[in-house]
Amino acid sequence: MALSFKTLSLHGGASLDRNAGTRAGWWAWFLQRLTGVALVGYLFLHILVISTVQAGEDAFDSVLIVLQKPFFVVLDLFLIAAVVYHALNGVRVLLFDLGIGLKQQAGLFWVCMVLTTILTLVAGYFSLPLIFRN
Amino acid sequence: MAAPLTDNQDAGVVGFWPWFYQRISGVLLIFLLAVHIWMGHFSGLRAVIDGRQEELVLYSIVQQRLAQGVFIFVDFSLLGLVLYHGLNGMRNIFLEWPPVASRAKAMTLGLWILGGVTFAYGAWALLAFIL
Repeated sequence: MALSFKTLSLHGGASLDRNAGTRAGWWAWFLQRLTGVALVGYLFLHILVISTVQAGEDAFDSVLIVLQKPFFVVLDLFLIAAVVYHALNGVRVLLFDLGIGLKQQAGLFWVCMVLTTILTLVAGYFSLPLIFRN
Repeated sequence: MAAPLTDNQDAGVVGFWPWFYQRISGVLLIFLLAVHIWMGHFSGLRAVIDGRQEELVLYSIVQQRLAQGVFIFVDFSLLGLVLYHGLNGMRNIFLEWPPVASRAKAMTLGLWILGGVTFAYGAWALLAFIL
């Protein structure tokens, strides 16, 4: 019983008891939703952009050249952060489904946050020449 | 004891198979997106920085990549899996919203139609690089 209550409270939203572990669980759940919905929105935009190819090679290239300007490279870093967090936290939830790591759920949330930050910074570092090119 | 269900809804609300396929598609997407993001944003980085290539992504570059069967497989798999995963995720959220949850079957059908139409549209776009 204790286990099932604990599992429910991980994703139970704001109304449940907010001890430190549950608060991390709530943030993990909230960020998973936020990034998930944002990524669905991006997906439709992404398909729409790619479909400009049907207007011809030049139409596609002219759109893609604009979308590789520094402003959009910076936006891409937010996209990478959203994808990496969503993927890592997805694995975190999957582990819980397998009965692994439930007691460490708050710590695992912070592992997701730290790895997301590191990977985004690494992507940012490699993108610097694109952000600061003329 | 069965493995505990820890998603925002348990499988009893969303259904076992949608719950199961959400996890399968999620794991596959991690690998496919890693390839997709690497090829799109990082593999050509050195060439762009050195001035040997104008941009990371242009028609000719995508066309060359999609001349290889493995990338046709990657891109079509991505299109289908990401649409399933994304729209099934939206379904999970809608199922928590009573006005929509009371019409769950119509909502699910609507999402399948949206997914099918978007897949066809995305495939039509991809085919411009292949044919």
